Amino acid sequence: MTRFNTNQWLALIIAVFAAAYLWMAWQIPSFPLPRPVDSDLFPKVLGFTLLALAALLFLERPAEVVSGDEEADAAAQAAREDTARSLLLSPWSRVVVTSLAIVAYALLLVPFGFVLASTLLGFGLSWYFGYRRHAINLVVSLGVVLTLYLTLTRAMGVYLPTGLLPF
Amino acid sequence: MTAKLPVKHLTLLALPLAAASLATLAQAQDWTPTRSIEFIAPANPGGGWDTLVRTTSRVIQEEGLADQNFAAINVPGGGGAVAWAQIARDSGNPHKLFATSPPIILVPLAGTSRHDHTAFTPIARLITDYSIVLVRDDSPYSDLNELFAAMQENPNLSVGGGSAPGSMDHISIAGLASAAGLNAAEVNYVPFSGGGEAMTSLMGGHVEAVITGAGEASGQLGEGSDIRALGVSAPERMGGALADVPTYQEQDIDYTFDIWRGVMGAPDMSAEAVAYYEDLFAQMLETDGWEQAREQLGWIDAYQNSEEFGDFLDAQKAQFSEVLSDLGLLGQ
Amino acid sequence: MESLNNLMYGFGIALEPMNIAYVFFGVFAGTIIGMLPGLGPISALALMIPITFAMEPSSGLILMAGVYYGAIFGGSTSSILLNAPGVAGTVATSFDGYPMAKQGMAGKALAIAAYASFIGGTVSIVFLMLVAPLLGKVAVSFGPAEYFSLMVLGLTAVVSLSDKSLVKGLIAAVLGVMISIMGIDLQTGTERYTFGSAHLLDGIDFLVVALGIFALAEVFYILLRGGGGKEAPRNAIGSLKLSRSEVSQIAPPIARSSVLGFFTGVLPGAGATIGSFLGYSMEKRLAKDGHTFGKGNIKGVAAPEAANNAACTGSFVPLLTLGVPGSGTTAVLLGALLIMGVSPGPMMLENRPDVFWGVIASMYIGNIFLLVLNLPLIPLIAKILDMPKPMLLSLILIFCMVGVYGMSFSIFDLLLLLGFGLLGLGMRLFGFPTAPLILGLILGAIMEESMRRALQISGGDWSTFIDKPISMWLLIIAALSLLLPLAKRGLTKMRSPAAS
Repeated sequence: MTRFNTNQWLALIIAVFAAAYLWMAWQIPSFPLPRPVDSDLFPKVLGFTLLALAALLFLERPAEVVSGDEEADAAAQAAREDTARSLLLSPWSRVVVTSLAIVAYALLLVPFGFVLASTLLGFGLSWYFGYRRHAINLVVSLGVVLTLYLTLTRAMGVYLPTGLLPF
Repeated sequence: MTAKLPVKHLTLLALPLAAASLATLAQAQDWTPTRSIEFIAPANPGGGWDTLVRTTSRVIQEEGLADQNFAAINVPGGGGAVAWAQIARDSGNPHKLFATSPPIILVPLAGTSRHDHTAFTPIARLITDYSIVLVRDDSPYSDLNELFAAMQENPNLSVGGGSAPGSMDHISIAGLASAAGLNAAEVNYVPFSGGGEAMTSLMGGHVEAVITGAGEASGQLGEGSDIRALGVSAPERMGGALADVPTYQEQDIDYTFDIWRGVMGAPDMSAEAVAYYEDLFAQMLETDGWEQAREQLGWIDAYQNSEEFGDFLDAQKAQFSEVLSDLGLLGQ
Repeated sequence: MESLNNLMYGFGIALEPMNIAYVFFGVFAGTIIGMLPGLGPISALALMIPITFAMEPSSGLILMAGVYYGAIFGGSTSSILLNAPGVAGTVATSFDGYPMAKQGMAGKALAIAAYASFIGGTVSIVFLMLVAPLLGKVAVSFGPAEYFSLMVLGLTAVVSLSDKSLVKGLIAAVLGVMISIMGIDLQTGTERYTFGSAHLLDGIDFLVVALGIFALAEVFYILLRGGGGKEAPRNAIGSLKLSRSEVSQIAPPIARSSVLGFFTGVLPGAGATIGSFLGYSMEKRLAKDGHTFGKGNIKGVAAPEAANNAACTGSFVPLLTLGVPGSGTTAVLLGALLIMGVSPGPMMLENRPDVFWGVIASMYIGNIFLLVLNLPLIPLIAKILDMPKPMLLSLILIFCMVGVYGMSFSIFDLLLLLGFGLLGLGMRLFGFPTAPLILGLILGAIMEESMRRALQISGGDWSTFIDKPISMWLLIIAALSLLLPLAKRGLTKMRSPAAS
């Protein structure tokens, strides 16, 4: 069996997604009153369109990575570096850790309060990304967060969670 | 909250009044709030609920009716469902209120919220608006009965409204149609995203008629306007720009429809807290600041205390359920 | 002549010291609000209603209008510098503005945005003044059928937004439409793709998707490329000055997009976002160097910026002449006017000429303020790029989170933001263009809604889309704009073997 190329793998994933989407489209209940076009028609058309596009993608030859596009180049290079030091996996672990930090922020925003949670996130991530002048980091993080907080709550009358701090 | 200067000004004017009311408060209250009150608008800034929340908070603050701050909070999503789910979890919290209106009954009936009005504590009904039926100025229909006769003849005749089928505008026109002797399901209701969009479509002649809120439409009516009103769902004639618009009942259709707005609280709020808020809102309705705001916004006072409001909500639910079952939209 | 007299009268009102102060405060606050992602003009205006409550109506509207076009003016800043569009109307600006900033031309990009915004705004005020009363009728002539056809025309821009692979561009666009129809279906009240969650009943907000797919994905992408503290390439701001040839390059796109933007703005519901996308894709097709769009072409900044500011002014036409809101923002403005006791509509020109002409005159002043205010600020604001990279990255993240949370107050949306960030990263790594997704997201739901609305009115008769002349012409233009490039390609293919 021949190996699939990138586009073919992507096409398969998209096709599976389209199939699931179509399955859900058939679960949409029909509306009791007569409608010329009910809620399910559009999703069904979209699902089949996506399926057809996946088929086309399957047949399309993947663009050569060296397409003169600096972004694609860089990505490929990053991927290569990635495999080269696969033990460290450092770039990908950065993405994962940042994602986890965002999740943690989302969960702690209300209990900790806006000011505390946001300052922690800003300070922590700057540190993690490699900034080492902690005093400046703290001042900037806190300054930006406080400015945002005061603009939103005082000037605009938007309510933000206060959490542990009294304001 | 932000307008510091006028606030001070008004407080000075209202001082004697406020002092008197505080004195009565002190005698009657067994409970007073101990921290700031979260007053939730279950929608984005700018809508009806948000206006109610911000206006009442402002008036209460300016008139010095409460010792504690009223914090206006927006919790948008799901036509209110997101906020209701959040408030329902906060059982017994006496510092959590929210603005409410017919969707608290209609959204659960449509099946998109697990919490309906019985899950919360009614505090008070405050104001009401009415529905209004509009047509283009050059339309051949001179009253509602002519419109409905035409609808019977041509079931394709389209009536635009500002909300989804099964919600406020649709219930309002379907109930009216069935009171006028039509089958409610026969109304070719075309939903738009908001009354303004529906009225635009009416002006362009894309729909034959539109049902929307009377307050929203009042700015559009009058001399030189492209549209005119056939009827309003109020029990008696309204004032201002709408004084010339006949009620449904004047046209021998026995039907009224209220777009009421009120305040509810977290589930199982204590009777003392309810009494406190009932009183607070009743006093607020008497203030000059409220009168001014109400006039500017075109609202009509329709106060009911907690108990009356609760009964009213039950009656509304029965009325809406009937229309929805006529439409075949109930119990999906 | 008459409009000149009216305008003089308007200036008499707008030049009252208090009103000048309001214009200044309005555009200043608007610029800041526009720069902060998330706090769009809608919520800013809604929150301002209590302030204007006690004001003279003309002053109130002057202030609020200033905030509105100021926010659109300022919105380009975060698009260009951070790839984080704070207002939907400035998404298209980021396509070329951000690449320019990365190439060390942030100052030039911001300056072009400011000039284009100024010209777009000013040109459309002239239109507003001269033809507003006539155009009101045109605005309402757009019914559901016409909107459907307009959205179809808008979607043809997908072709020009996806260079590398048309199939991948189309897949992205379909994904965008899929996202746009999530939530309660307005036509039936049925839930679609909500997975039983109340948070998804209203669908997914545009801002969550845009900030995720552009800004967050960009941060991830930089991280993935190892962009941490070590390399720290200080991005130069570059000069603000435009050369003569650059000026002559961007002048025609600005002129065309100003007109286009104004007319899309006039149509209720179309607005700044669609105007900027149409302006961008039109220029990309017209340009000889169309292939450099998306890589930092100055015309790609000028066109959408002129268009979105022009559209913003255009949206005042239906508001002032008919009293109907053309967009969410003008709906809030309408509400504020009603509270102040003014009913906009056909009679407003006679009943309240002070409001009508005062606001128009104040817009000229406001646009000059914006230019004068913004140009000197550009070097200062662009300094943000001079920050150490790690700190810049974490600040972009905070900006996105605050933007999303400040709009929806929803933790769920923060997690969605992360999801779209990862989706955007994936799309970039596998060569899927993201712009078509955004376009599908903006146009998809309106397209479906207006199609079904039109059919509901016509009783299920599909010929309604061809029977209405405006709708028919829009569909013909859409078909042509799809077929012409293909035919062109076919012709050159046929000729080249013959020539050889």
